[in-house]
Amino acid sequence: MDSKGLSGGIYQPLSPEGIETIHDASMAILEKTGITYETGLEETVNMLADAGATVDLEAGRIRFPRGLIQNQVAKAPSRVVLYARDGKNDLDLTEDKVHLGTGGAAVKILDPETGQPRSSTLKDLYQLGRLVDALDHVHFFLRPCIPTDIPEAEYDINMFYACLKATGKHVMSGVNDESGLERVIDMAAMLAGGEEQLTAKPFISVITSFSISPLKLCTQSTRIMQACNRRGIPVALSAAPMSGSTGPMTMAGTLAQLHAEQMAGITICQLTRAGAPLLYGGIPGMANMATMGYRGGGVECGMMNAAIHQLSAHIQVPNYNSAGLTDAKLPDAQAGWEKAMTVLLGAMGGSNYMHHSAGMLESMLTVAHEQFVMDDEIIGMACKVLKGIEVDADHLALDVIDTVGPAGNFMMSPHTMKYMRSEYFQGNGVTDSKSRHQWEQGGALDARERARGLARKILESPETPYISEEIDQAIREKFNILLKTV
Amino acid sequence: MSIQDIFNAVIAFDEPTVAAKTQVELDAGTDINAILNDGLIGAMDEVGEKFSTGELFVPEMLMAAQAMKSGLAILKPLLAEGSSQRKGTVVIGTVKGDLHDIGKNLVAMMMEGAGFDVIDLGVDVDSEAFVKNAAEKQADVIALSALLTTTMPAMETTVKAVKEAGMSVRTIIGGAPVTQAFADQIGADGYSADAPGAVKLVKALVA
Repeated sequence: MDSKGLSGGIYQPLSPEGIETIHDASMAILEKTGITYETGLEETVNMLADAGATVDLEAGRIRFPRGLIQNQVAKAPSRVVLYARDGKNDLDLTEDKVHLGTGGAAVKILDPETGQPRSSTLKDLYQLGRLVDALDHVHFFLRPCIPTDIPEAEYDINMFYACLKATGKHVMSGVNDESGLERVIDMAAMLAGGEEQLTAKPFISVITSFSISPLKLCTQSTRIMQACNRRGIPVALSAAPMSGSTGPMTMAGTLAQLHAEQMAGITICQLTRAGAPLLYGGIPGMANMATMGYRGGGVECGMMNAAIHQLSAHIQVPNYNSAGLTDAKLPDAQAGWEKAMTVLLGAMGGSNYMHHSAGMLESMLTVAHEQFVMDDEIIGMACKVLKGIEVDADHLALDVIDTVGPAGNFMMSPHTMKYMRSEYFQGNGVTDSKSRHQWEQGGALDARERARGLARKILESPETPYISEEIDQAIREKFNILLKTV
Repeated sequence: MSIQDIFNAVIAFDEPTVAAKTQVELDAGTDINAILNDGLIGAMDEVGEKFSTGELFVPEMLMAAQAMKSGLAILKPLLAEGSSQRKGTVVIGTVKGDLHDIGKNLVAMMMEGAGFDVIDLGVDVDSEAFVKNAAEKQADVIALSALLTTTMPAMETTVKAVKEAGMSVRTIIGGAPVTQAFADQIGADGYSADAPGAVKLVKALVA
């Protein structure tokens, strides 16, 4: 089953009036409260002032007239295609078309051998890319963990390199600074055969966390975001307020603030370069009120992320957000129910690009090989729901029912052979549906062990060279690539 | 390499081709045992393996068995003439009070596919019928099926009746609620969780 790009939009937590009310509230926030900024953004602030924003330099406050927001938001493309190098996983992001993949910046991994948490490494990132490459329902590879074993100054080029080497699916990551972005674009252009080819079919994109919620521009990320706009590289305008700490306690309030932040960010991008490809990046979340940490696994995460898609669809911009987080520390039953809830709600909602959806544990802190395999299954099942139930003559099977007749059976009907593998979801093998006897004969493995076995099998298979030897050598001559050659 | 064609046609569930290629081989004077063992039975062994690993579904195994039988039908008259040694005879049925036959049919087809003579007594079969038929046909194995927990005791009754009749025929049991422990408890000679396993079990018992 090709699970990507199916249409959601069948779960709508906001009524049409609710959407209008929140959208209007967001406009009011930008008009009345406005946003603030870190130092070093003078150029951006001047650009906004020139376009008609009211800037109070003394108080550090930018307020937006509605017309300015409306005009600029209207320039953002309603469709963004993020390309893959494998020829089969291009992501057509528009309307309610659903895609799910990895994401996050975990610093720990459950060691594939011991099962115990340890710091994640560059090799881990590469191996996770290979794993995701083989999992059909994980539609893209956003670097899910940080290589804590290399110097931070080497993150940008090395994270992108490890991802691009490991998988032919679309690769997204963040960068630390503008020079890092330049290096990444240079390297990607070498793979594309030129920068023009790269921007025509961008197989990389960049997360820019331009907004420090509530309502404050981050200098570094805003500059990187604008640099991407100028270079034609798609950006995800990541912003993730938590209700109760960096957003108001209530869901509607958090959505209104986040939608305002998004429209301010989109305005900056479109003023920087009209038509710049971008993803509305609102990720509504909740603070854990007992610890003030991030509460990733709440069912309301699923509800709010479906709602934020309704708000992005309202302004006709494809969206990037989150599904599939859990607060569980290991791949246990809690991980299963929390992930299934938010992934299914997200898919039914119609979000276009849901990251965090595979591999994550402990909110966003830990990844595990086996969890990617399990989440591939959850995503596949959630997307199957979007296929719905086909009701046409062949699926009604009246002739078949007549031919088999009362008291017969359908086991050997050609109709059965025709639909046996396509009508129902066929998983990756992690789901056990054997008899107890067969299960016991297979070692009586629980879900985690079965998933570990499947992950091991994938990683033991030969590596697919997504960077040719020749280009690899040229890249290694030009950049400080730290991933060891295999 | 035409025996390979027969093998491939069984794997492809291609009934007409199995029959046609079997006839071609016979006409060409190929050894009937080679056609049977390397072509038809060999293919079903592979199908059984693929089923056990989950690669094939039940309907596909049935289709393969049906394709295999079309070849077997051509060989059968010749086999009766003694040009090939038969593997053994199995009497099979669903026990008294139980009307479920899907699993039993599957096992019967797989046994035929493996080269056994199979006498299928159908469903709701009482112990007397099993004993009588097994004696008449000089069966090597009686295979009992049950889907219901409530009809499992009928397996015990049948196994007992066979023993009381003083027959040397072996009894095996299977079905969703049945376990090895139950087989041991009622004194049956074997148990299998699935059809390919039942074939292996019977092969071992008649060896």
